[in-house]
Amino acid sequence: MRIVATSITVFLLASFLTYGLGAVGHANPAAAVLGDIATPADITRMNHVFGLDRPLLVQYFSWLGHALTGDLGTSYFTSVPVSQSVGQALPVDLSIAVLALTFAVVLGGAAGIAAALRQGGKLDRAVTLVCAGLATVPPFVIGIALIVVFSVFLKVLPSGGYVPLGTDAGQWLRFALLPALALSVEGAAAIARQLRTSLVAAVKENYVTGAVARGLPARRVLFGHVLRNAAGPALTVVGLEIPNLIGGAVVAEKIFNLPGVAQLALQSGSQHDIPLIQGTLLVTIGVVLVSNIAVNLVLLRLTPQARRPAGAAV
Amino acid sequence: MSRSQLSDRPVTSDGAAATGRPAIVAEPGAASAVASAAGPASSDAATVLRVEDLRVTVGGGRAEAVHGVSFEIRRGETVGLVGESGSGKTLTCRAVLGLLAPGCERSGGRIDFDGTDLTALGRRAWDTIRGTRIGAVFQDPASYLNPSLTVGRQLTETVRAHTGLSRAAARARALELFAAVGLRDVETVYHRYPHELSGGMAQRALIAIAISGDPDLLVADEATSSLDALVQAEVLELLRRLTAERGLALLLVTHDLAVVAEVCDKVLVMYRGDLVEQGPTAEVVAAPRHAHTRALLEASR
Amino acid sequence: MRTLRRAWRLPSAKVSLAVIGLVAVLAVFGGAIAPFDPLKQDPSLVLQGPGGRHLLGTDYLGRDVLSRLIEGTGRSVVGALEAVGVGLALGVLPGLASLWCGRVFEWVVSRLADAFMTLPYIVFAVAVTGVLGNTLTTAMVAIGVILAPRFFRIARAAGLGLTRAQYVEAAELFGASRWWILRTHIWSKVLPTLAVTAAQAMAAALLAVSSLAFLGLGVQPPAPTWGGLLSGDLQYLSQQPWAPLAPGLLIMVAAGALNTLADAIRDSGATDLLPGGGEFAAADSADASDGDVSADQPEAKENIHVPVPAL
Repeated sequence: MRIVATSITVFLLASFLTYGLGAVGHANPAAAVLGDIATPADITRMNHVFGLDRPLLVQYFSWLGHALTGDLGTSYFTSVPVSQSVGQALPVDLSIAVLALTFAVVLGGAAGIAAALRQGGKLDRAVTLVCAGLATVPPFVIGIALIVVFSVFLKVLPSGGYVPLGTDAGQWLRFALLPALALSVEGAAAIARQLRTSLVAAVKENYVTGAVARGLPARRVLFGHVLRNAAGPALTVVGLEIPNLIGGAVVAEKIFNLPGVAQLALQSGSQHDIPLIQGTLLVTIGVVLVSNIAVNLVLLRLTPQARRPAGAAV
Repeated sequence: MSRSQLSDRPVTSDGAAATGRPAIVAEPGAASAVASAAGPASSDAATVLRVEDLRVTVGGGRAEAVHGVSFEIRRGETVGLVGESGSGKTLTCRAVLGLLAPGCERSGGRIDFDGTDLTALGRRAWDTIRGTRIGAVFQDPASYLNPSLTVGRQLTETVRAHTGLSRAAARARALELFAAVGLRDVETVYHRYPHELSGGMAQRALIAIAISGDPDLLVADEATSSLDALVQAEVLELLRRLTAERGLALLLVTHDLAVVAEVCDKVLVMYRGDLVEQGPTAEVVAAPRHAHTRALLEASR
Repeated sequence: MRTLRRAWRLPSAKVSLAVIGLVAVLAVFGGAIAPFDPLKQDPSLVLQGPGGRHLLGTDYLGRDVLSRLIEGTGRSVVGALEAVGVGLALGVLPGLASLWCGRVFEWVVSRLADAFMTLPYIVFAVAVTGVLGNTLTTAMVAIGVILAPRFFRIARAAGLGLTRAQYVEAAELFGASRWWILRTHIWSKVLPTLAVTAAQAMAAALLAVSSLAFLGLGVQPPAPTWGGLLSGDLQYLSQQPWAPLAPGLLIMVAAGALNTLADAIRDSGATDLLPGGGEFAAADSADASDGDVSADQPEAKENIHVPVPAL
């Protein structure tokens, strides 16, 4: 519950920063929308329409109140509700991010477990080396490399474009595969490294000896006991990777030409379309915070030591 | 993980210094005299564990820390294995359990458990012996339990792995077992995590798990050493009661000869990797033959 | 200095320092070294392969790729330095100040740091440049703001450990002023940890600059940058699939060298001078260490809900 409370505080602060950013911008949307021919009176009237003549804090709470009910305002330029634009773009990123997270967990998890089981062996060294290398490769370089391999040379996957998941799942996968793979690499490497480290430490623990001494089968000891305890730190890494994943999605959208939030943000940025900028930023913050709460709830389930105070013995 | 990992209990290699020492095992206890002569693996029905010329190397084979130890345990018998740290007693007991730490290896000898050669077992075969035929409890019991599972769940897991009982039946059995080891308020204990139990309670829980498969042999490695005196006495009393009730043989590994004197029928004394003395507890305590036994006796007074 | 001398003994530190030095030379003297004018277009030599007069070939406007790469180094490095500088200033001072300026200040600043940490840096930079104008400085201030919580955490954790250390108490008893304690005791101990974080942050900032330039943020088109080169290549991948190799490798090598240097400083044990020094690395970022992100350290536990952007 503390997590939720802290997250709400953080959300309030971050959203205020978001709103304040727009206010500091002084982009003067009225002038931008009305063009050069606008008279000061026109601008004042327009500012009133946009509600920009009220005190900042009042504006913020009214904006936040609307935002929480799903009304993120209206674009200064297209007059399309921001929530509608974001609502169209968000599923693109979310579906790809979820796919990327799945890849990261599966690939990173498998690599980490394999390396830990063959600790000190060739496989272990290979995994460690590859992970250390991949940690410094920016996602867009990986994205480009993937295009070169799969689209230019092998010609098996498209280099860009998008079909919504709801329209045709098979086509969606064709378009989502490369971006998701590109996004997952960094997270997979981080997860593999962390999981290997904590597995190697966990295997030496007494409770593993204890489980073996009880006659539990090897598979059960590994998955039910070792992995259960080693998964916590790796899960923390997953939580840390989520903002990266969303940030990386922006670049991936550009490389693979996806109609996501990032394209929206880039477009709104170039136009000084403040409601749209604020809207995308706020939704992004929301997504990060919600996924963090989710990760922490799972973490609490996994590690009861953290949940209950120690020394509660009778 | 095919090889079971252990706690890295420091194993001093001072055993190597004692190579060539003539084994003073010339005085086999009255009970084992017959069995020793019986040579072949077909042991007589009364013998549950027979260790012959066990040798264990440490440091990846560089040094030998157990130099050919032989003893046997009869059904229902309580045997104490004493020695100071580094004497090889823990290595011996770990070898019996097939749980030698990485770097430690059995380099020679036989371990015969009720007609089964334990030294020839693979990981899967071990799973049918450990937990059901041989139970084990350790020093610092809470650390041998998974910190993120309730002790009840770990007990039911063990019961189910060995018996295939239903969830509900295994749970009922778990509560019975907790009661059998003298835990009060078993429903509450069932839902406790290891770190929420006191040392004595954790050791009782570990004992409950160890005897859940109704084994023939219980190996207790310094099982009472980290407990305070009062709790130690209680746990020893529990072990004594269990061996009597269940016809359970007990190998009690400890550095404390006083503990052995209290509980054990027979005592084995190890010093620097050799079994220097063995015999009925009363005899050994009354008239120790080896200087080291005398030193241990001094220490435990 | 002692830190550097210790780290110098590790071969990995020597290699990474050599690479960093090379990049620094390119950044400072890039204009003089570049064989061609990076902006000069030659319509007769469009999309040439590597070799001949143009060592790395030419781009879609017939500009020399090697010269653009060299010339772009300065802009990328300066951008990253700006970001790290902003991050240091906005992180370290409030971090240390939060130890002395009362609980309210501490609470507000800590929550602010948490808030900034939830922001994915690219989205934030897009928003900031969108609102405040698309210049390198605006983009880098945005990145610096996102980096600041890292420095804040480190400075705070280090300071916290040290204020509890007995010799600081002793100094206070002897009537030493706060400023004096800060300068002599704390600063000298915090510095190695800070160096590790700064090197990591510099690597992250280099990647961030490149990512943003790739998106066309912070840099106006004709001026070359590492990331900009990559985005230009994107359109011509089918003709020149190898083109992204050079800028991609340069970014990786530069960032890799900085991370290796950070590891070397940490491995040399300088950060152990702090009580629990090794833990900061674990608490500070996911990509930082092989040490586990354990929930046991109080500082890490307190902040476990907060994502740290490993930019």
